[in-house]
Amino acid sequence: GTILNTPKSRSLKLKNLTPSMGKRNSTLMKPSTPLQEARSRLHVSAVPKSLPCREEEFNNIFTFLKGKLEDKSGGCIYISGVPGTGKTATVNEAVRCLRKLTSKGQLDDFDYVAINGMKLTEPRQSYVQILKQLGGKTVTWEQAYRVLEKRFHNVNSKMTLLLVDELDFLCTKRQDVVYNLLDWPTKATAQLIVVTIANTMDLPERVLMGRVTSRLGLTRLTFQPYNYKQLQEIVMSRLKEFDGFRSEAVQLVARKVSAVSGDARRALDICRRAMEIAESRNAETISLQDVTEAVSEMIASAKVQAIKHCSKMEQIFLQSISAEVTRTSIEEVYFKDAYKQLESLCSFDGIEIPTVSETLAICGRLGASRLLICEHSRNDIYQKILLNVSIDDIHYAIQELDFNS
Amino acid sequence: MNKKKNMAIDFQDNMILLTRKYLKRKIMCPETKFRHHVKERMHVLELLKRTVDMGESNSALLIGPRGSGKTTLMNSVLKELSSIKSFKENALIVNLHGLVHTDDRLALKDATRQMQLENAVGEKVFGTFAENLSEHHNQTLLYNLFDIAQSAQAPICVIGMTCRLDVIELLEKRVKSRFSHRQIFLFPGDTSSSEQPTTAFDDRLELFQHLLSLPDDENVNRIEQQYDDCTIDPQFGSMWNEYIKSLVSNATMVNLLKRMYQMDVSERSFRNFLAVAVSTLSEKHQRLEVNDFVEASKIFAQDDKVLMLEGLSVLEMCLIIAMKHETEIYDGEPLNFEAVYNRYFKFVNQNSSIQSVQRPVIMKAFEHIKNLEILMPVSGMNSKVEKEYQYYKFLLTPQQVMDAVKNYPGLPTEVSQWALSSV
Repeated sequence: GTILNTPKSRSLKLKNLTPSMGKRNSTLMKPSTPLQEARSRLHVSAVPKSLPCREEEFNNIFTFLKGKLEDKSGGCIYISGVPGTGKTATVNEAVRCLRKLTSKGQLDDFDYVAINGMKLTEPRQSYVQILKQLGGKTVTWEQAYRVLEKRFHNVNSKMTLLLVDELDFLCTKRQDVVYNLLDWPTKATAQLIVVTIANTMDLPERVLMGRVTSRLGLTRLTFQPYNYKQLQEIVMSRLKEFDGFRSEAVQLVARKVSAVSGDARRALDICRRAMEIAESRNAETISLQDVTEAVSEMIASAKVQAIKHCSKMEQIFLQSISAEVTRTSIEEVYFKDAYKQLESLCSFDGIEIPTVSETLAICGRLGASRLLICEHSRNDIYQKILLNVSIDDIHYAIQELDFNS
Repeated sequence: MNKKKNMAIDFQDNMILLTRKYLKRKIMCPETKFRHHVKERMHVLELLKRTVDMGESNSALLIGPRGSGKTTLMNSVLKELSSIKSFKENALIVNLHGLVHTDDRLALKDATRQMQLENAVGEKVFGTFAENLSEHHNQTLLYNLFDIAQSAQAPICVIGMTCRLDVIELLEKRVKSRFSHRQIFLFPGDTSSSEQPTTAFDDRLELFQHLLSLPDDENVNRIEQQYDDCTIDPQFGSMWNEYIKSLVSNATMVNLLKRMYQMDVSERSFRNFLAVAVSTLSEKHQRLEVNDFVEASKIFAQDDKVLMLEGLSVLEMCLIIAMKHETEIYDGEPLNFEAVYNRYFKFVNQNSSIQSVQRPVIMKAFEHIKNLEILMPVSGMNSKVEKEYQYYKFLLTPQQVMDAVKNYPGLPTEVSQWALSSV
C-alpha cells in the first residue's frame, strides 16, 4: 500500500485552506444600556436593510440591473459622487434585492463579482480577483486574463454582474484593464453587466481614452451630497425608537456636516462621539452641548490651541515672521530677516535675545508641527519660511494668552 | 546585613555613584508612567477598551509636537490594559512605524508577522502610523485599514501618531471620508486636565524636583525592576532630597529654568539638559551645584557657529571679516573669491604690520571656510565656472562675526579694528 507522509513543506499548507483569524477567548460584551445599543447602531459599519433618502437612486439601479438580467444582455453603468454618499451601499442593497428575487424564482440566477481598485496592488490583479471570485483558483494575471477571455467569448448559461469600485485606480497609462472590463459587455456572448463606481463626475471624459469612454456608454447616475434634511433622516432612522438624542441636536450635526461635505460617515461619527461624551458624564440624553463639543473636536482645527501652547520664544518667533510679512507684504520670508525682527521684538520686551542656533532649532520645531512651512535647513539663514497659519490666528492666540497671565 | 555594613564604610563614595546611576536611568529611560493629559488618556483608554470588549471598530489620531509624550501615552495605556486579562487574551497589537515601514509592502509584511497570521492567534489589530505612511503611493494601506474599521469585519482600532497638525489634509479624499475624525491633541504644558491645576512653569519646577529626587524609602526602588541594583541608603536619600528641594527655591536656578522654559517647553530637551548636569557627579564632585546647571545650560544655548569660528586661523578670520564687509556693503548679494581677495588685499596693503601671504594660500583658506559650510554655493550655478568666480552666499550674520572677533584669543588689534570699522 502507499505510505502517507506528513507534509514537510509549508507550501502544501498554502493550498485549499480558507484563511482564518484567531478566535476570541471570551464572548463579546452585549450593549447594556439603551444608549450603548443606539450607539452600536450608529456605527458606520451597521448598514441598515434599506438606505433612507436614496430610494430614487436605488430604483434607478435596481430597474437597470433587473432589466439587463431579464433580457440577458450586457451593459455598463457609471455611478459617481463624493465619498460617503451611499454609492457602494446602494449598489450592494440592489444586488441583495436581486438575489432575493432569484431565490424566489422570479429571476434567473446570476454570478456576482465585486472588486475594489484600492484593494488591488496593481490594476491587472483585477483579473485574478475576478477569476478567484468566479472559480476559486489563484493564478497569475496572464492566465486569469486568458481564462476570462475564453469565458466571455463562449455562451454562458448564467449572467455575470461585476461591480468595479474606485474605477480611477484601475486607469493606467495604457488603460488596458479598464478597456477589457468595459469591452466584454459589448460581446453578445458575454452576458456581463458592469457597474462602475468612482468619485468624479467627469472621469470618463477627463481620464479615460475615447474608445473606453464610448464603451462606458451614457447610462450614468450621480449621487448628490446629502443635504441637512436627509442627514437628519439618516441619523433618526438609525436611532429608531431611542429618544435620548434631542432632535435639535441631530439637526445641528446635520447642518454642520452638510455645510462642509454632506458625508454621511462624518455625521454618524460625530453623533457617536457625542453619545460617548454624554455617556462619560453619565447622562441618558444627548444635549446640544455634547454635540457642540463633539463637533468642535472633530471639525475645528487646533492651530490656535497649538500656538497657545508654544513656548514664549516660539510665539515671539511667529510674531516676528508675521511682522516681516507685513513689512515686506511678501508671504515668503527669509530666516535672516525674521531673525532681525526677532531681535528687535526681544529687545522691545526686554528679553535676552536667543542665538541663531537656538532660533534655527525653534524654526525646525515649528516646521515639524507645520505651523510654519520651511525650506530644507541646509539653506541655513537663507531658508525661506512660509506661515501655515493666518496672521490673525497668531494675534488672536497670543493676545488671549496675555490677558490670561 | 553584612553587606550593608560594608556599604556604610564607604558611604559617600559608593552612594554618589549609585545616585548618579539611578538618576540617569530615571531621566533618560522611557517611562510608562504618564503625567497630565488625564482627559486625553482616558479617551484613548476607553476607545481601546470598547474595541476589545464590545467589538467596535474605531480610528483615531494622536497629534502633538515632537517630544510631547505621544508614545509615552500610548505605552502607558497599553501597559494598563495588558494587566487586564480579557484584554490580553482577546487583543493583538500591531506596531507599524512610518520610518521603518517605508512602503506598503514592508508594512503589510510586518503586520502579517506581528499578527502571526499563519497560525492565527488574535482577533484585533492596532496600528500606528506616522505621517510617512500617508505619503505612500495611493495611500492603499491607509485606505484598507480605515475601510476595515468602517465595515463589519474583524474589529480593529487604528491609532495614528504624528507631530503634524495638518495631517488630515494629507489624506486622500476617500481615505479622509473613512477616517472617523477623532483627533486627540497633546500639547506640552497643558495642565488644565491634571488633578491640581498649576501654572505650566510651576509644573516644570515640580518635574525638576521629581526627576532629581531619590526614592523616599528603600521599597520604592524594589518595585521597579530596572532599579533593583541601585539600593540607596535612606539616610543619604533624605539628605539628598533636602538639598534638591533647596535648589528649587534658589533664585539663580529658577531664573535659569525659566529661561530654558521660555525657549523650549518640550520635556525631552529638558531631560537632556538634566542628564548633562547629572553626569558631572563623581567621587570628587559630590553635589549638584547651581553652577553645574549653568554650565550645562550653556551647551544648549551657545551659538555653534561662533564656537566654530574660534578655531580658525587669523588668515581665515580675516577672510571671514572681508566676507562680512562684502555682504554688508552689497546687502546680502552673493560673493566670490575674487571679491573677498580684493577686499582682504586692500586691508593688508594698508597695514604694514600684517604679514602678506600668497594667493594660493588664501585660496586654500577660502576653501577651508567653504568646507565648513559657512559659505553656501548659489543654487543653479554651473560647475564649469572657475572656482575663483563661483558665487557663494555667506551664512553668518554680522553679529555672529563680531561675537567671534570678540571671543577670538589673541587676535591682532588691526584685525579687530578692521572688523569694527564700517569700511
